[in-house]
Amino acid sequence: MGSGEIAWAFEERGNASLVAPAGRVDEATAAEFAERLSKFAETCRDTMILDLEGIAYMSSRGLRALTLAQRRASECGTTIVLARPNPTMREILAISRYDRIFTVTETIEAAQDD
Amino acid sequence: MHIRFWGTRGSLPVAPHASTIAEKVSRALFAANGRSFASEAAARAFVEGELEFAVGKTYGGATSCVEIDLGAGPFVICDMGSGLREFGLDSLRRCNAEGRPQEYHFFLSHLHWDHIMGFPFFVPAFLAGAKIVIHAGHADAEEALRRQQEEISFPVPFDWLKADIAFRTLETGREYRIGRLDVSLIEQHHSHSSYGYRFRDDRGKVAVYSTDSEHKIDLMHGEADVVGFFEAADLVVCDTMYSLADTVSMKEDWGHSSNIVAVDLCHAARAQRLALFHHEPTYSDADIQRMYRETIRYEELTRDDAPLEVICAHDGLCIEV
Ligand SMILES: [Zn+2]
Ligand SMILES: [Zn+2]
Repeated sequence: MGSGEIAWAFEERGNASLVAPAGRVDEATAAEFAERLSKFAETCRDTMILDLEGIAYMSSRGLRALTLAQRRASECGTTIVLARPNPTMREILAISRYDRIFTVTETIEAAQDD
Repeated sequence: MHIRFWGTRGSLPVAPHASTIAEKVSRALFAANGRSFASEAAARAFVEGELEFAVGKTYGGATSCVEIDLGAGPFVICDMGSGLREFGLDSLRRCNAEGRPQEYHFFLSHLHWDHIMGFPFFVPAFLAGAKIVIHAGHADAEEALRRQQEEISFPVPFDWLKADIAFRTLETGREYRIGRLDVSLIEQHHSHSSYGYRFRDDRGKVAVYSTDSEHKIDLMHGEADVVGFFEAADLVVCDTMYSLADTVSMKEDWGHSSNIVAVDLCHAARAQRLALFHHEPTYSDADIQRMYRETIRYEELTRDDAPLEVICAHDGLCIEV
């Protein structure tokens, strides 16, 4: 139902890469989300900060894509940190217990320091 | 049809300690806060109406056994976990009271211990005149049931059972007419495989039983088959043993699924109701209740249009479909 597409922004910040998708990650967009995210995960910085500010919500498919991206990122020693989730995403990260397998930060700066 | 849950716990039967009951009673008395009740019925109304489930009741600890009750004709039962013992006795009571035939159609998800351990204690199997047909996707179902009654494991050998027992292997990709139900099955990811069943009654109502099924993270594209199998079901009973994080980390490849993947699959399939099932044996009642509330919340947060009703299966629950 009208979930549209996900827009992506990417920049490098020192030893971190900053990836900022915007949109809804649901059944319709999850496959593309997973594919793009795994590509970004190959940039091989110490940290890949995934800025969640523009993500309205994410189903389990999006969350599972985070794990697949983290596996790809681990091949060159990169850790994915989740920054700035909105209240809905925070709840979803807690319910799925993803906040126990990913570091979640309030700000991008906090993610960089992590 | 009615769905009766005789066993809802995953992997291993559990029973409360004395201290668990003492804790529930203490909490109930504290919640009553000095109130007095004129009768036991009034006290019961307080338990039903005002206490939260995990305080006033228990989700139970018997392993997988779910009855599809059509009210007449042969009994239909999914899996033979430890909940089967109680079902067996209750079915005989109904045979006496309602004149139902001692005829049983079983459907086995798979042959792991927690799904067959009730059979040696299934009283109708000991009765001459009872008729039992055991349907399974596995061709080795008979071997599994015979083996658990070998002398090293159990005093009564399978061959001593007096009921007329037959085994029937079912195939995926087709629909069977069995008793008063149309039945189809799907193969699921689990050690030694498991099968989900889709039952449709003559009114067109559909109940799906899908337990011990891992939805693998690197096979998400294959989930369309599962969504198709759940399509527009009135009830889907799903394995929701772990959190999603557990299924992609420590407990990956352990063969189970999560509450939130179950919600997503049911949303995609436009199913009406989801029953959380195969509860983690280390979970207390409070843990299961928390998981239940979180699942309801996740469903609200991710709902697209029509709501999916989420219920939490417990031993003794009976719902109408
Ligand atoms: Zn099991
Ligand atoms: Zn199993």
